[in-house]
Amino acid sequence: MRVVTGVVGNDIHVVANRLIEISLKERGFEVFNLGVNTYLEEFIDAVIETDANVLLISSLNGEAEGWSRDLLFLKSRFDLDGVLFVIGGNLSVGEAKEEEIIPKYKAYGYDLVFHQVDLNVGLDIIEDTLKGKR
Amino acid sequence: MFQTERRIITNNPYTDSFDFDEIRDFISKASKNLFISHKFKNSNKILVQPRGGFPTYEKVFKLYEEFTKAGVDILPLTIDSNTRLNDYEMAKKMLILSEESDENMLNGYPLITHGYRTTREMVTHFDTPISLRHGTPDARLLIEIALASGIFEIEGGPITYLLPYSKNFPLDKAFLYWKYVERVCADYSKLNEPINRESFGPLTATLQPPAIVIVIQLLEMLLSLEEGVKSFSVSFSQTGSMLQDIVSSNVIKKLARKYANMFGYSDAKIHLVYHQWMGAFPRDKEFSDSLINTSTVIASLVRADKIITKTRDEAFGIPTPEVNARAVSNTQYTLNILKGLPNISDEEEEENLTEMVDDIMEAVFNDPADTLWRQVFNSIKNGIIDIPFSPHIINSGEAITVRDKNYNIRFYKRGNIPISDRCLDYEKSKIDLGGMSLVENIIHDIGIML
Repeated sequence: MRVVTGVVGNDIHVVANRLIEISLKERGFEVFNLGVNTYLEEFIDAVIETDANVLLISSLNGEAEGWSRDLLFLKSRFDLDGVLFVIGGNLSVGEAKEEEIIPKYKAYGYDLVFHQVDLNVGLDIIEDTLKGKR
Repeated sequence: MFQTERRIITNNPYTDSFDFDEIRDFISKASKNLFISHKFKNSNKILVQPRGGFPTYEKVFKLYEEFTKAGVDILPLTIDSNTRLNDYEMAKKMLILSEESDENMLNGYPLITHGYRTTREMVTHFDTPISLRHGTPDARLLIEIALASGIFEIEGGPITYLLPYSKNFPLDKAFLYWKYVERVCADYSKLNEPINRESFGPLTATLQPPAIVIVIQLLEMLLSLEEGVKSFSVSFSQTGSMLQDIVSSNVIKKLARKYANMFGYSDAKIHLVYHQWMGAFPRDKEFSDSLINTSTVIASLVRADKIITKTRDEAFGIPTPEVNARAVSNTQYTLNILKGLPNISDEEEEENLTEMVDDIMEAVFNDPADTLWRQVFNSIKNGIIDIPFSPHIINSGEAITVRDKNYNIRFYKRGNIPISDRCLDYEKSKIDLGGMSLVENIIHDIGIML
């Protein structure tokens, strides 16, 4: 399974990004890590280029929402039906309720949304989803 | 040729008009007290230097007064982030706002905006060496102004100011821009006491393997000496293991001299700088004091030439001048009561670290490129030099480190770093993941001081 990952927007928090890469590799994924400060268009380009199964976007500074607005538009331009779109990390600036955040991000076009969820819990859910268990 | 380049670089609308003859005259006659190279030579204690910088002249002046009262040895001048990224227009706007409102709209001193004529007044007033702290890949104009102001220590380098700070600034350009910096420092070093260059060993301050830290220190030293710099400081930050700090310092001192001599720079003076803990700090301020104190003890044990301090407010943001000055006086207090410390070494550990450093250095020198900077550039591109947790796209990020049970940082995976199987086996033999996943170990190991 191929995963494209990276941190979206003007966000340079590199530590979690590296931990995601290491964890994915430990689980046997082929990882294409675009690193910090990555724009949505670059993620989509990489998914097409690598024929990825999963796009895993992360965000720590909470500004991911502003960077997600064009996702549905970009998805509509390319045939990305088989790709699992995932976003995780700290998905809002300041306090926010999960039950508000998750529907909002799903409406932007993400299949799985993890707000302040433990990394391994999130990766388990991704693996189960790929196996069709969920 | 070079002088033409300097005229082009310094002819910039955002700063003073340059008068090179006047600047050379100023440096020739400058007080010896402004040169850290002179202070290193004539001092028998560890020099204490804090960090710090504010947008306005008045606030930096006040900060320096506090530091002076606290018994500081070396003053810092930390530059704001816009200037570091060569955005002088934004620095200028934010300085104006800071001056009008008393709010600090910049996280440091916009040296280029203030210019050298103004800054020099402050520098000569305090008559104490000042160290320029920045993080700039293209520091050509910045260091011209620093040196013209009387700031005679320049921190940084093409690797240590790039890999931890930038995602995609071109590394080859950084090498060429820093070559300019070295040449200017070397040129002015002929006029009076030498200008000191200092490398930035903490790198990303996150589980950095000592072997790679030392290799990068040695290479930036050689790149600087190659251009004629005569006074250089290698540095590293507290690793989290007292033993590893001692081993690192013994090895870096030995190898810095060895490689400098090997390349024909036996006349160059080399110093060791120790950074108090650069990782995440506890939120309990008494715990922070305790951590800082431990750092100071280790700096004494490793016989550093200079220590760079942190403050008890590290977990909360930029400290006030008073809190910052307090850290200086506390560090001086601890240094003063530590006399006649034992010489400690660990033969097996030093042998292992020396072998790893020598093997990596050999691989760099075996690169077929025609100049040292190109060899180093290729080695970073190939992953021969690879640092954990760099945001830069050129860094390969294949090597993985964890702590052993005594908090020594060990290679878990070497990636393309050419350390021998024997050394890797030695490193791995010390590791015990204790039934937790690798990532759980790494998260724990990053946060040991919390």
